[in-house]
Amino acid sequence: MTSTHPSSANWQHTSLQGGLPLIWQRRPGPAIVACRLWIRGGSSQDLPGQRGAGQLLAGLMTRGCGSYGPEALADLVEGRGAALRAEAAEDFLVISLKCASSDTSELLPLLLSMARQPWLSPDQLELERDLNLQSLQRQREDPFQLAHDQLRHMLYGDGPYGHDPLGVDGELAALQTEQIGALVPDLGQNGALLVACGDLDDELPQLLNPLLNQCPWTTAPPSPGAGPGAASGQERFACLEQDTEQLVLMLGTATVPLGDPDGLALRLLQAHLGMGMSSRLFVTMREERGLAYDVGVHMPARRGATPFIWHLSTSAERAEEATTALLDEWQRVLDQPLSLPELALAKAKYRGQDAMGRQTCGQIADRQALVLGHGLGWSYVEDSLERAQQLDAGTLLAAARRRLSAPSLSICGPAPALTAAELAWQRHDLSS
Amino acid sequence: MPLAPSQPLLPGLANASDQLLANGATVVSLSLPDSPLVCLDFWCRAGSVFESAAESGMAHFLEHMVFKGSERLGPGEFDLRIEAMGGNSNAATGFDDVHYHVLIPPEAAAEALDLLLDLVLHPRLDAAAFDMERQVVLEELAQSEDQPDEIALQQLLRLGCPEHAYGEPILGQRELLLEQTPAAMAAFHRRLYGANRCVLAMGGALELETLAERIDASGLAQLPLVEEPCRRPALLVQPGEHRIEVPRLESARLLMLWGLPPASQLHDVMGADLLTTVLAEGRRSRLVERLREQLRIVESIDLDLHVMEFGSFALLEAICETEELASVRKAIDAVWYELLQEGMAEVEWQRAQRLVANGYRFGLEAAGGVAGLIGNNRLWGRHHRLELPLEEIGCWSASELLQQAVPLLDPSRACVLEAVPA
Repeated sequence: MTSTHPSSANWQHTSLQGGLPLIWQRRPGPAIVACRLWIRGGSSQDLPGQRGAGQLLAGLMTRGCGSYGPEALADLVEGRGAALRAEAAEDFLVISLKCASSDTSELLPLLLSMARQPWLSPDQLELERDLNLQSLQRQREDPFQLAHDQLRHMLYGDGPYGHDPLGVDGELAALQTEQIGALVPDLGQNGALLVACGDLDDELPQLLNPLLNQCPWTTAPPSPGAGPGAASGQERFACLEQDTEQLVLMLGTATVPLGDPDGLALRLLQAHLGMGMSSRLFVTMREERGLAYDVGVHMPARRGATPFIWHLSTSAERAEEATTALLDEWQRVLDQPLSLPELALAKAKYRGQDAMGRQTCGQIADRQALVLGHGLGWSYVEDSLERAQQLDAGTLLAAARRRLSAPSLSICGPAPALTAAELAWQRHDLSS
Repeated sequence: MPLAPSQPLLPGLANASDQLLANGATVVSLSLPDSPLVCLDFWCRAGSVFESAAESGMAHFLEHMVFKGSERLGPGEFDLRIEAMGGNSNAATGFDDVHYHVLIPPEAAAEALDLLLDLVLHPRLDAAAFDMERQVVLEELAQSEDQPDEIALQQLLRLGCPEHAYGEPILGQRELLLEQTPAAMAAFHRRLYGANRCVLAMGGALELETLAERIDASGLAQLPLVEEPCRRPALLVQPGEHRIEVPRLESARLLMLWGLPPASQLHDVMGADLLTTVLAEGRRSRLVERLREQLRIVESIDLDLHVMEFGSFALLEAICETEELASVRKAIDAVWYELLQEGMAEVEWQRAQRLVANGYRFGLEAAGGVAGLIGNNRLWGRHHRLELPLEEIGCWSASELLQQAVPLLDPSRACVLEAVPA
């Protein structure tokens, strides 16, 4: 029996006036609709001196658009019991809506209006900006955030991926309406798309085109091609003293875009190393040594140089042991191919993840928006599933040697633990 | 109720079906034919509230130890086999109960069911693994103590729920964790994991006949009854005013805790849900609008309802600068008093009803949400249809809410903690 993978089945698509692709999937059942208006850009396109502008613009979109002021817009959305948010990530700005299907015709056009006719009132800008500044300040309470910020700077410097989408204190504080307003005309110039999933009818284009008549938006499907790169000459070690019980370790490097040929090999390595309780790091760090509660591999789906980061936190007194053990594990990835059972398990997890990501309308819309938003094409998900089954351990090892040969270590914790961990780093072959 | 009566309240969702095994264990299931997965969710009334004084942290530690293998399954074998079939598993320990869940492709569900029941009902509790896993629990404790907002929350619960298990950390106290033994843990398991205290819930693309056969042949069908422990005391939140300095805190926190009716009183729980929504859900809710949007004295203000079996609570958290704490408290008092005095407009009332109803519906989209809800309901003897909470929303009126629910959140009845940067 042949079957079409659900990721490419069932989608309908058309082009709205001005070129915006509309992609939708009927999924009756719970009478819910999830929509994503995805616009390529995001915090990686923040201009120098204006880091945080993309996120500020996104936040402001929910504070008035078209004929709705800030209160009227909130009244409409909350009055329908819907969830609406807009945010900037590194590669994109996305407006997300989840609502009862009977409210779709009233709420879905808002997404276009938010992108084309945001109010950007100075008063609301001041409020949103202050809230973002306070969030940035509060993030410093979390030692994982501190270690992560430090590592990000080592990998990406002041480059496009070098800052949190929320921004950088001083630059964010200085942002004014003119700078944010200047971003609006260019939204979608590098591609945009609208994805909807749920209990939908086929009237969607008729619902949306009148608004695009009223305020034209010339855009196009996002094109393929790699996004931002890493810093040249990546720093290798950094530490930050904090009066905490644990030492947080983050070990990682900048790798390749989601669509790169090595990307899939790295994804399988992630599954092997960090996915689930049978994963290599979970077993060696937690189950066999009791070194950590939380250990894992962070590898987001980026259009540019994707970070590949291991994270672990351990008691200060075990800093040296944990650092050495973690570095040994990284070295092992560079030295040894996966055994056949390890490879089979990694592939099974990769397949399993696919079904996990197809459970709700929101998840289905998210993934479709991500794939098409990165310019990867309709069959990317099923192609990757098929290609993953063909990869062998030698290919994974070669990819690891190409992409993971010189990781950077970021640590955050009390002084004695920092000293112990730094010594372990200096003694280890990986640091040279 | 703003919905037309002809519309089904939960479109696309059947009702759960129940099966009581001969030994008294309960199985509840709900088919979601379009789901790509099955969720198997084993629930037991064995949360931290059932620990004796000397058993501090035992419920949660046992949850960790369960994954270290059973009489039949070696250490790590469960995870390996589940994940090799494309599934994953996890568990969570609460004050009242613990649950262990597996998400798995439908074709592997029967085998996963065998594995899960064996793992949970016959834990090996090997001594060396016990010592190793205690290290992991201590690391988990240390990790949570490095989050200053966790420190503040734990302190609030301790102050607001004196003499009650809800005031003690679920992770346990370090000194007592160090004294736990495998034998004491085995006794805890024997005492609480009985047929009458366990529920197996299944949601998703179920092949019920196959699964029923597996259940009949499983340890769940053989599980003996256990004596019910004496009833836990009801929660009485102790009002008061407290202030602490917390190292590494960047913004001050105002925390407020109120006691509310327990989960068994569904009508009251839905009223509390409506009230917390009126007050703090969304930009146009009363507290968010006044404190964040108008006065601009908080970064955020949240009011969460924690529904629990021996008394629920409402927990308010406002994040602000230290010097704004007094204004924040004054503004909260004023918002509450105005609501009590002036009531609310129809549009505000409908907004709250819609938000609560949609929140409930949105939570039932995936197999995990469905299995979790029906499992927890049956575990605590709630056999109502899934629509009932939605119907209860419609049973409230704005004026009843003002008379019956609003007084419960009187700021003068709260346990208040101001946490400020040290």
